[in-house]
Amino acid sequence: MSHSVAAAAAQQGGARTLGQVERHDTLAARNARLADGDQLTVRVRRFDEGRGPELEHFQVPYRKWMRVLDALNWIAENSATDLAYRWFCGSKMCGTCAVRMNGREVLACWEAVEPDMTVEPLRNLPVIRDLVVDRGPFERKVASLEPWIERTSPYPGFPEPLSHRQMKHSSQALDCIGCMACYSACPVIGLGALTDFAGPAPLVQLAQTALDPRNNSEKVARALAATGIFHCVSCYKCEEVCPAHIPIVSGAIEPLKARAAVLVPAMARHSQILRRIVAARGRVDPGALVLGVQGLSALRNFPRMWRMLMRGKINPLRTLLGLRTAAARPARRLLAGRGPTS
Amino acid sequence: MKFAYYPGCSARSTCAELNEATHRVAARLGLDLISIESATCTGARELRAIDPIGFFTLNLRILALAEREGLPLMTICNTCTLNLLDAHAAFLEEPGLGETVNARLSAEGLRYSGRTRISHFLWVLYEDIGLDRLRELVVKPLNGLSVAAFYGCHITRPPQRYGFVDSRNNIALERLAELLGCQPIDYSGRTECCGFHTAAHDERVAFKLTGQHIKSAKSAGAQTMVTPCPLCHTVLDGFQREIEKDMGEKLDMPVLHLPQLVGLALGLTPGELRIDRHIVDTSSIQSWRHIA
Repeated sequence: MSHSVAAAAAQQGGARTLGQVERHDTLAARNARLADGDQLTVRVRRFDEGRGPELEHFQVPYRKWMRVLDALNWIAENSATDLAYRWFCGSKMCGTCAVRMNGREVLACWEAVEPDMTVEPLRNLPVIRDLVVDRGPFERKVASLEPWIERTSPYPGFPEPLSHRQMKHSSQALDCIGCMACYSACPVIGLGALTDFAGPAPLVQLAQTALDPRNNSEKVARALAATGIFHCVSCYKCEEVCPAHIPIVSGAIEPLKARAAVLVPAMARHSQILRRIVAARGRVDPGALVLGVQGLSALRNFPRMWRMLMRGKINPLRTLLGLRTAAARPARRLLAGRGPTS
Repeated sequence: MKFAYYPGCSARSTCAELNEATHRVAARLGLDLISIESATCTGARELRAIDPIGFFTLNLRILALAEREGLPLMTICNTCTLNLLDAHAAFLEEPGLGETVNARLSAEGLRYSGRTRISHFLWVLYEDIGLDRLRELVVKPLNGLSVAAFYGCHITRPPQRYGFVDSRNNIALERLAELLGCQPIDYSGRTECCGFHTAAHDERVAFKLTGQHIKSAKSAGAQTMVTPCPLCHTVLDGFQREIEKDMGEKLDMPVLHLPQLVGLALGLTPGELRIDRHIVDTSSIQSWRHIA
C-alpha cells in the first residue's frame, strides 16, 4: 500500500470512503480490470447427496461486461453440464439467482465477474444441490406471520384517503424481490436456533402489510410477537447486500419495532427502560440499564461487575443515587411527558 | 483546530479511559476540544426505533449546540456518529421535520439550520490533521506491532450513508495503523458486528459473534485489536472473560481504543493513555520494545 494513495484520499476528504477506489468497489471499476479473452479463475462450491461440499475449479474466458451468471452459464455449457443453479429473468426482477461471490451476497445476473472468484450457495438455508438452496424455512416463516391486510373498517371507495407519508415504509418494502441475500448475510440468523429472530427477509415481507395503516392491529400484534425483532443487532449487513436498495434496518425493522413498542409493549421493555433513563438523567447509565432490564438476575454477572468496578468502569454510587448530569434537564423537557411514539 | 467535542455516554462511563486518552492525544495533535456539557445521549439504537421524534430532537439539539459555537463536531463513538449523521440527513431531506424540532428547541433559544459538520476522530485524523502532519508527529513508531483493526458497523455501513458497495473494502484503519508503524492484519472479523446492541437483554448473541471475531484475529497473528468504537470495545474487552468461558478457550486479546494506539505512536505513555484500565491485560503492549 502506498502512502501517496492515502494522502490523495485524505486531500479529497476520503477518510470515510478510503478503499472504495483502491479496491475497485464498483461494477464498472471491476470490468475495467479485464479484457476480452482473459481467463477467469472460478471456484464453484459443489454439493449433492453423497458428494461434497467441495470447491471445483474452472477456467472461464472473459467477455466484455460479463456477469457472474454468464460465467455460470459458460461453465454449465462447456465444463460441468450437471451444475445446478437457479435463474429466470436475468434482469434483477425474479430474485432467484442470488449466490455468494467472494464472501458477499450478490445477484448472479447483476454482478460483474472478478478475475478470481469463489461462487457459493447462500448461507442460512439448506443446500439442495450445488448453488440451489431450499427456500422453505423462509416461506414457512413468512406464511406464519399472516402477511396480508385485514381491514377493520369498510372500504371507503377509490381513491383511498392515504398519504405518501403513511404508506412510505410499506411501499418501500414492496420493492423486495425475495432473493434471500439479506437472510444469508444476517449474522443473527447465522447463529441458528440461539434466538427466535425471524431475520431480515421475513421482516421486510411483514413490513409490506404490518406498516399499512389499514391493517388490523390485533393481527399485526400477533405477527410481531412471533418475530423476535429486538434481536436485530442493527449491523446493516442486510442493507448492504439488498439488490433492491431497501433500507431494511431504518425503513422496515425500526418502524416495525416502533409498532411493537405500542402493540406488544413487553417486547420493547429494554428500549423503554433506556428511554426512561435518558429522559431522567440525560445520558445512559450502563449500571441502571442493566439493573432495569435484568433486575436481580444481573447479579449473575457479579464477576464482570467486580472487574469493571476495579478498573473504574462503573460507578455504583452514581447508579444508585441516580445522579443527574448537565444533560438531564433538556432531556427531561424534550422526552418526558410524551408517549414513546407521540 | 477547534472542535465541539461529543464523547457520548460510553466514554463517560464504561470506557472513561477512552475519554481521557482522547484529550491527551488531542493536545498532542493540536486539537482544541470544546466540551458541550448539556449534550444528551443520541438515543442509541433504542430511542431511534421506538421514538423517532424524540430521537431527532436529541440529535439535532446536539448539532444545534455545536452550530451555536460555530464549530464542527467531533465524535468518538460509531453509533453516536451514525445517529447524528442520520438525523442531519433527515433534517435536510424530510419536509417539516426541521420546523417541528426547532419549535421544540426554541424554548432554550436553540435553532438548527443544518450547518454542523460531523466528524469521527478517525476522519479528523485524515481530513483535518492530514496524514503528512500526523507522520511528522509520530515519535515512537510501533514498528512491527501486529494490529487487527475492528471497524464496528456504524462507521462503515449503511451503504447509503458511506457509499461502500462492500464495506470490507474500507481500509482507513489499516492505512492509519501502517502509518503508525504497525503491521495491519487481515482477518474475517474486520467489518463484522460485535452484537453490542442486543447485549442489554441478551448477551449470548454478542458472546457468539465477537468470540468468532477475536478468535479469527488471534489465528491471523494479531498482538492487539484496535477499534474506533467504545461499544465494540465494551464487548471485545469488557465481555472477553465471559466469551472465553462460552467458547471454552483462552483468548487473552488486548483491545485498544483508536486514540490509545495513535497516542502510543505520538510518544504518550501507556499510563497517560489509561491502557491499564482495560479488563484484558495489556502488559504485552505496554512492554512492547518500542514503547517501553
